[in-house]
Amino acid sequence: MTDALETLRHDVRAWLEANAPKDWRATCTSHEGFLATQRGWFAKLVEGGYAVPHWPAEWPGGGQGLAEQKVLYEELARADTPRLLLSFMSTYHAASTLFEWGSAEQQAKYIPRILEGEIWCQGFSEPNAGSDLAAVRTRAERRGDVYVVNGQKVWSTMGQFADKCLLLVRTRTQGAKQAGLTYLLLDLKAKGVTARPIHQIHGDEEFAELFLDDVEIPVADRLGDEGQGWAVAQSTLLSERGLTLLELSARMRGALWRIADLIRETGREDDAGILRDFGRLATRIDAACALADQFLANRIAGHERVGDASLVKLTYSRTLRDFTSLGLRLAGLEAQYHEPIVFGGGMETGNWMADFMNSYAWTIAGGSDEVQRNIISERLLGMPREPKTWTLAGDAA
Amino acid sequence: MSTDRAELRDATRKAFGAAGLAPALDTSWNTVTEMGALMMAVPEDLGGLGLGREAVGVIHTELGRTLAPGPAIAQMLVIEALCAADGLAGRQDLLDRAIAGEIMTASLARADAWGALTAVPDADRASHVLVVGEGRVSLVPLEGAAITARETWDRTRRLFDVRPTADGLVLAQGAAATALAGRLEAQMLLALAGDCLGGADAILELTIEYLGTRRQFDRPLALFQALKHRVADMKTWLSAAEALFWNRATDAAAGVAELGALKAHAASVYRAITEDAVQLHGGIGLTMEHHCHLFLKRATLNATLGGDADYWEEQAGRAALRKAAS
Repeated sequence: MTDALETLRHDVRAWLEANAPKDWRATCTSHEGFLATQRGWFAKLVEGGYAVPHWPAEWPGGGQGLAEQKVLYEELARADTPRLLLSFMSTYHAASTLFEWGSAEQQAKYIPRILEGEIWCQGFSEPNAGSDLAAVRTRAERRGDVYVVNGQKVWSTMGQFADKCLLLVRTRTQGAKQAGLTYLLLDLKAKGVTARPIHQIHGDEEFAELFLDDVEIPVADRLGDEGQGWAVAQSTLLSERGLTLLELSARMRGALWRIADLIRETGREDDAGILRDFGRLATRIDAACALADQFLANRIAGHERVGDASLVKLTYSRTLRDFTSLGLRLAGLEAQYHEPIVFGGGMETGNWMADFMNSYAWTIAGGSDEVQRNIISERLLGMPREPKTWTLAGDAA
Repeated sequence: MSTDRAELRDATRKAFGAAGLAPALDTSWNTVTEMGALMMAVPEDLGGLGLGREAVGVIHTELGRTLAPGPAIAQMLVIEALCAADGLAGRQDLLDRAIAGEIMTASLARADAWGALTAVPDADRASHVLVVGEGRVSLVPLEGAAITARETWDRTRRLFDVRPTADGLVLAQGAAATALAGRLEAQMLLALAGDCLGGADAILELTIEYLGTRRQFDRPLALFQALKHRVADMKTWLSAAEALFWNRATDAAAGVAELGALKAHAASVYRAITEDAVQLHGGIGLTMEHHCHLFLKRATLNATLGGDADYWEEQAGRAALRKAAS
């Protein structure tokens, strides 16, 4: 570790001691408390210059290297601060897509507002598309200066609380599925938009469904050209693969104390079987962290291969399942009694049943484990792709 | 991957390339000595290349990849111990002979059991054996020693029980011996982990190749999603274990416990991959004429050499418990 990084760590730690929210877990058992905590903590981080280390240097708090970001994530995890669930899509997905594809006008219009707290969500998935993004059917028809949009989106993280939405729509039904997609920036206050939260199996409502009924979106709010939506969406998705997983892996390692506490509370410090399971888990988490580190180092050096991100995601999702499973097992019957969940508590809240169920979000969302396995075997290992013989339902034969 | 690491890997792979899988002992040992593998970690003023653990990691990964026979891991422990033996008369001569390929061996059992001298590679061809005992590390000549061959399932390794009769040369004593024993154990664990991951990578590649050529139901096996997903899982666990390996190989602070946990992890990944490889090869994977069994057997031997997963995972669990309390 260099002196500069040590200094940064020291600074971040001191800043967190003075500024990290203290009793947020108790507050975040209601949605109001969750929203207030998230908004307050994000504003604090913006003020401290720690909210968007991954942005370009010309933005306040941006321009940090990988090593610096890692230090920041490790310290945030160590201080047990809330994850920025509410502004996550805004600072990662929306921002990086706008940096890459936005015109100067679009960037000037949208990016500063993210730092002011404007919340974005992502409107990619659809009830019948799931991990198959190219199967998007929400229709957009151009009429003069606007697109008129009709359809339904699902699994929009934080969609019920968001102001804006990254929207993937179909502008053409003929030809290759990917080629008919267009990328729009939707104002969720626009006429014809309805957002409805989805109640998940552990009681939280992290996701929403969006219903779009003759919604008008100005052509000026299109990212990239018409028909270029697939390529734009790939940048959006890439932004979450990597840095996020670095943060999440570090947080998982930082949360090992929860299991250590359980082992002590249940008097199993000398239970060799439990110690082995714990030791194996700790090593696997170290491996997941090492893989995430290596992935980012390769990306920065320009050596990233298609499929590398899938290795990182699959490792994380399976390791998180192991982590929550061990906690659930150690907590025994107590974990079966319902406790209020902590909204936005990170992936490891110590409410083991909720955490365990939430681990499924990581084996399904952002491309299921099975989709990742397809990518790894076909793109990374060069195994043959499945023959594609089908067409979109409703396509002209 | 660093450029140095990639270059050394390519050079080593090239050196072993022609000999193929599980080469003959003499051929393999000549390659090991000729390419300078034994002098990698030796300081320059003692006639070595002065490269660190990372280079040692590359060598053992590549030896594991080709299922190389021979006492490379044991020999490097002897060389490490000689390098540490500052005051030893005639050290440079012994070191030069060891680097040149005169076999000097050591036990690959877990450190607690080193005094017992079990699992000693190629002892019948060795001039000396390293003995790590309580407060004392010594190099004992093997003339007159009782050497019992133990036939192993793993045909790529030859192991012996050894009962020396002489006392030998003292390389370290007291606290210095304890510290050296720890370093030797750490190096053995790193070497074994490297052997596991190199082997795992090789058999995974061979399995993927096989799935691409073998046809069933009018198409290559590689088209069946059930099989692709198994291979993808193997690749994923292997990649994470490799990242951990290089992380710990280059971390000067990584001690015996960390390297023991790494070795246990690498060995379990190796085993899982070799087991799947047998299954994915089908009937041919069950035969002696095919390479699957060589990897499977080396994986199961590696899992017990240097201490098994039960031991190291328990240690890792205790360490994690302590760390979480601090």
